[in-house]
Amino acid sequence: MHNQTRRHFLSDCGIGLGKLAAAGLLTDALDGVARGAPVRDDPWQPRNPHFAPTAKRVIHLFMAGAPSQLEIFDHKPLLTKLEGEPLPQSVIGDQRYAFIQPNAAIIGPRFAFSRHGQCGMHLSEVVPNLSKIADEICLIRSVTTDQFNHAPAQIFFNSGFAQPGRPSMGSWVVYGLGAESRQLPAFIVMSTGGGLSGGAALWSSGFLQTTYTGVPFRSKGDSILNVSSPAGIDQSIQDKTLELIHSMNRRRLDIVGDPEISTRIASYEMAAKLQLSAPELMDLSGETKETLDQYGVDPAKPSFARSCLLARRMIERDVRFVNIYHQGWDAHSNVEGNVKNNCQITDQASAALVEDLKQRGLLDDTLVIWGGEFGRTPMVETNPALGRKLGRDHHPQAFSMWMAGGGMRSGMTFGSTDEFGFHITENPVHVHDIQATILHALGLDHERLTFHLAGRDYRLTDVHGKAVHELLK
Amino acid sequence: MQLHIFFRSILVLLAFITCGPTGRTLTADDRIDFNRDIRPLLSDNCFSCHGPDDEAREADLRLDLREGLFGTAESPGPVQPGGVDQSELIRRISSDDPDERMPPPSSIKNLESPQIDLLKRWVSQGAPWEEHWAFRKPNRPELPLVTRDDWDSPTDRLALRRMEQHGLQPSKQAEAIVLSRRLYLDLVGLIPTPEQADEWKARLEPASGEWNESAYKELVESLVSSPLYGERWARRWLDLARYADTNGYEKDRDRSMWPYRDWVVNALNNDVTFDQFTIEQIAGDLLPNATLDQRVATGFHRNTMLNEEGGIDPLEFRFYAMTDRVATTGTVWLGLTIGCAQCHTHKYDPITHREYYQLMALMNNADEPDLALPAAGAEEKYQQNLKRAAQLVRELPSHWPLKSKPSGKDSVDNETAKTKKVALAEIAFGNWLDEQHEQQPRWILARPRQATSNLPHLEILDDASILTSGDSAKQDKFHIVLHPTSINGGQIRAIRLETLPHESLPAGGPGFTYYEGTKGDFFLGELQIWQDGHQVEVVDATETYSKNRFGSNPVNAQLALDGDPQTGWSVHGRQGERHVALFNLAQPLADDKPFEVRMTFGRHFSSSFGRFRFSIADRNAVASPLTLDVLRLLEKEKADLDEAERAVLREAFLLGAAPLTKFASTILDLRRPIQHVSTLVLQERPRENPRPTFRHNRGEFLQPREEVSPDVPAVLPSLPAGVNADRLQLARWLVSRQNPLTARVVVNRHWAALFGRGIVATVEDFGLQGSPPTHPELLDWLAVEFMEDGWSLKRLHKRLVTSTVYRQSSHVDEKGGDLDPTNLWLSRASRNRLEAEIIRDATLVAAGVLSEKMFGPSVRPLQPAGVTEAAWGKPKWIPSAGEDRYRRSIYTFSKRTAPFAMFNTFGAPSGELCMARRARSNSPLQGLTLLNDVMFVDLCRAAGASIALIDGTDHEKVGRLFRRVLTRHPESAEIADMLRFVRDIRMRIAAETLSSSDIVGAGTVVKRTEQERSEQAVWTLLARVLFNLDEAITRN
Repeated sequence: MHNQTRRHFLSDCGIGLGKLAAAGLLTDALDGVARGAPVRDDPWQPRNPHFAPTAKRVIHLFMAGAPSQLEIFDHKPLLTKLEGEPLPQSVIGDQRYAFIQPNAAIIGPRFAFSRHGQCGMHLSEVVPNLSKIADEICLIRSVTTDQFNHAPAQIFFNSGFAQPGRPSMGSWVVYGLGAESRQLPAFIVMSTGGGLSGGAALWSSGFLQTTYTGVPFRSKGDSILNVSSPAGIDQSIQDKTLELIHSMNRRRLDIVGDPEISTRIASYEMAAKLQLSAPELMDLSGETKETLDQYGVDPAKPSFARSCLLARRMIERDVRFVNIYHQGWDAHSNVEGNVKNNCQITDQASAALVEDLKQRGLLDDTLVIWGGEFGRTPMVETNPALGRKLGRDHHPQAFSMWMAGGGMRSGMTFGSTDEFGFHITENPVHVHDIQATILHALGLDHERLTFHLAGRDYRLTDVHGKAVHELLK
Repeated sequence: MQLHIFFRSILVLLAFITCGPTGRTLTADDRIDFNRDIRPLLSDNCFSCHGPDDEAREADLRLDLREGLFGTAESPGPVQPGGVDQSELIRRISSDDPDERMPPPSSIKNLESPQIDLLKRWVSQGAPWEEHWAFRKPNRPELPLVTRDDWDSPTDRLALRRMEQHGLQPSKQAEAIVLSRRLYLDLVGLIPTPEQADEWKARLEPASGEWNESAYKELVESLVSSPLYGERWARRWLDLARYADTNGYEKDRDRSMWPYRDWVVNALNNDVTFDQFTIEQIAGDLLPNATLDQRVATGFHRNTMLNEEGGIDPLEFRFYAMTDRVATTGTVWLGLTIGCAQCHTHKYDPITHREYYQLMALMNNADEPDLALPAAGAEEKYQQNLKRAAQLVRELPSHWPLKSKPSGKDSVDNETAKTKKVALAEIAFGNWLDEQHEQQPRWILARPRQATSNLPHLEILDDASILTSGDSAKQDKFHIVLHPTSINGGQIRAIRLETLPHESLPAGGPGFTYYEGTKGDFFLGELQIWQDGHQVEVVDATETYSKNRFGSNPVNAQLALDGDPQTGWSVHGRQGERHVALFNLAQPLADDKPFEVRMTFGRHFSSSFGRFRFSIADRNAVASPLTLDVLRLLEKEKADLDEAERAVLREAFLLGAAPLTKFASTILDLRRPIQHVSTLVLQERPRENPRPTFRHNRGEFLQPREEVSPDVPAVLPSLPAGVNADRLQLARWLVSRQNPLTARVVVNRHWAALFGRGIVATVEDFGLQGSPPTHPELLDWLAVEFMEDGWSLKRLHKRLVTSTVYRQSSHVDEKGGDLDPTNLWLSRASRNRLEAEIIRDATLVAAGVLSEKMFGPSVRPLQPAGVTEAAWGKPKWIPSAGEDRYRRSIYTFSKRTAPFAMFNTFGAPSGELCMARRARSNSPLQGLTLLNDVMFVDLCRAAGASIALIDGTDHEKVGRLFRRVLTRHPESAEIADMLRFVRDIRMRIAAETLSSSDIVGAGTVVKRTEQERSEQAVWTLLARVLFNLDEAITRN
């Protein structure tokens, strides 16, 4: 039972939240009152994982719009041979499509593939930088999802459920592990490219308390919403303001005796820290030219590359979970141009991030994930009314993604698809399995990381999923 | 008994962690209460394998049923009342053998030794068993006698007894000024102004130490009668209704739903009784002679999301909306987690998989149209428009252009010119008549014999047109059989297709598109003519209008003939109008045999015809916008036309004549039906097109199994016999006196709103996994009283806030804090952080800018730039102007994928799911919002400006500002602190190390001498401090 009474907390606390007893996952759920008031006194209290983790932090590079695996990762020479022919009906089955007719013709891969690294990983020429770190990554070519439209599939990948309203992966992770640092939010979201189909549901805390919501780091204006003081208010006024707030709150605490007030006081202390640490994080003047060049960053300009560099800086400052959304992969037309363009934006920086983390000794306990919400069809999308040609439609059956660091095996290619790249033939990895594997790397059992609501213990993987141990060292 | 078999190899499907219901420790002589102490243990630890779900059930053992626990005389169960040693259940939970131990060590469940002891004591006490408390009808409990005079209302007596049982004493009544602030916040969601608070204090405490009870009742009455009351309580209801102003999912486009929100505000202000409130929202359209208002109310279940992403299967997302409706109905009225039975029979509560879909069937027979809400006088205005149009038609000939520039004389003599113009028009009309008579074939209306489709319901109307209704798929196929009786002995060489508007269609038609594409548009991908089993060649096609909604590529009727369903004809941009396509045949059709028109519709969204009809002719032709009536007149010889007929034809000519286009378009605009405000509603389907409901295996849209009939779960009272089981019956059943749940669930939710926690803490779950009530008798008393008092929410609120338990001080004393840290036993009032919307509204009051304007489309207050930028399409948030910026938060535009930043930070829901209970949280981002968000900065400036204008000493001004925010009087230490702050700021400004112009900004209107600006800056900064105090955002 949860015997840490609020009274105890009150008598013992200066203000320090850290002094609250660390309630483990089990005792927290055992607290009977938790059923009625699902809020923790200190939501960021570091918490022990279920077992020894291989990763402490995550950087999730989410490629929204769904990159074409057939142009980058999954080499299918037969498609070149059969270009223009329809796929056999036996392959297609009764799959529903977003735009194309199932009898659409095959289109061959637009880029040449070759083997890379000591492991001999097959990658296409469109990702020259990734090819150089083939031995560092774990490529999964057999990911499969339940959803074939963007918003539901993105929400599904990030929350385990296709409709908005459930907590996102980052929220679950911070709920499970707490925060290592109070200087910055534990779960940060950046986005580049266009607006996202899944919207705020992708980093929502769902039914968990809103403190677990991903905090958007914005490319323009304040990095964190409202982190700057308003015009005309300098640091000394801000200090005076916070002092007066503190002393007046403190006085009420003595009179009223409600420990909620000390929680509020502590949250203002954290707010003050954030006001200092966020600008410090954004200041890239301390980065060497080599590092900037490695990522391809112009410090003055928001970009995917800059977000990757910032992600490394966040990891150095013990941020738990970083999401970078890059929107723009939805190649219904001109898949060649689309992939080329998006790889120009993402390839160098993604590879640089892995290398940089490695150089700094952070890759061992930082898990980097790269991938989108589904794959793309081996069949061509052409639609005169929509002005589309030489594109690929959405393909949920099989797609590719890679992970690196955080205990993942490296130089490994896992799973395979049939010669059309249509179905998985070996080692299918469902999105729920990916989620279970990510949690596993963090030392969390996806079946035990639960939240009780409305008669059910909810979890990230719904009622499915299994950690794929073959992917882990 | 086969216990040995089943206790082996348990498959653990779900991870559950256990808990005692209230976390309290029982002493040895406590009597075990099955509902409170035992059932939750069994539910948490046993039911997932030995409960209602027969697919997951192990060893054919059900511990959720009495028979399962105790068995029968012939076959005794695992529990033997009184016999601890004889009970297999006790043996298994205490066993050290991992193969025997229950729950199995391999599972995540675990019974701790105090819990095992509890079960043993229950068995030794004779294992008393009761039905789950929430499924029994509530009865009025006996009221205990209490020793305190001021605790004599039933609510107080029932609360006090529990308090005293736990060794607690009540707190004293809160101070008058605190109470009035509490009542304002609770009942109307605002804070009082210092003047209001002082006035009530004077009435409540006419002299020191005196208490005027009737003044308290008057205060309550005045608040409950205020229109602000409906706005406050509507917000809570909208959490349940998952209200938002956008559709959700990817595109998250705007929707017009605010008439429903206004309906809720009005209904609450009018104290529409909760049973009626329920019936109108669930089934208002089915009430006899349903009013417009009652139909608007059905918007409750139209608050589900609509996915407009290209390429989705609309029927799949409709199914998701239905599952949301079932789950929401369960939560809001029954307090049951019915949604858990979507994929399989409920693991804990007695609700089967099939019953879930039967409940869905009760709600599944509705179409989902937009309901037009004509403004007052709209019809008169339209009639005036028509009159004006008629007048303009008469004037049309006088606009006919003269061939040459008018000579000087003509320009002077208007009358002469006009006469000339009219004459020229008449000549042109004559020529047109000849030409049309020559060109237009004789058109015969083709009445369909049969109209079928893959899914939409096609109804043949009296005028031979076909009207689409019901559901439509991404690709629809229509199959129309025509057999015209006569074509004057000729052969059919042309087919004319009119697409026609209709009020039942999205945007008035003529198409059936309702998402992603333009409402009321269509996309005809392919059209084929068949006769005698052969396809007939169509040589060409023309149309009167065509426009593509997506991309710049052409769309036209000819493209519906090219064999490619991805190209075709649509009429984006001119909805609500008639459009015509004409198809010429290569070889004539035989007119003595039926022929078929086969059409394929849709692109990456559903896009069929909404209303259309065919006519035929014996000659090839081109598409003409003329109506069939006009075409029929054109068949006549000119000489045979009477003047009325000539007038009809003349009008048709003039409206289509190229030289008059400009004038004609004014007339066409006047004739266009007025666009009304609309709102989303449910509309029961016509009897001839019922929608079947199926059980879906694993809850999957793509796995429908057997059809199910509409019904309610068997564990609850049944529907009345002999009536049609429909939504209206469901609605009446929900609020029937026989229903054990609804009244309890409702009073509990309102209790939670006023006391910070429900009597049942899990306000959304009264099932076996929910928390047992802390005060079961109180809950039942309130529920029965609520029903017998006619389901009045206002009277319920009055009952609660006039109780003594409500009026207690919220101060935490040493003893209460130790014995009852979470205040389960109500020995003090709760201190609750205010909800997001109330924080904003209270700050609007404190800043003196709150607008009292009610109702209408949602508005956009200030929020930081870029909040919406991560959403699809990077929409801009353009703040409303004037007082709309300062309206109550219930009127703030709610965009699902990019919620209003401040509300989101403070835990307001975004309308994606039914939310019965908001999690209250604390975060540094909340502090940053109150300190720095542009909206609050603006309010600080407004507050600063108004304080700066007051004549008075700093001491007075500090007190004034303090009271505007916190209501109570400041203490002297607080005054000293604030004065010091004010002095410091003044010095900084005087030293010019602080820019008062930056601080006060450019927006606020105040006389701007240097001195005044400095003063405004000073008070702006103090307001910023006060808005951030814990007390400012807390209900004391």
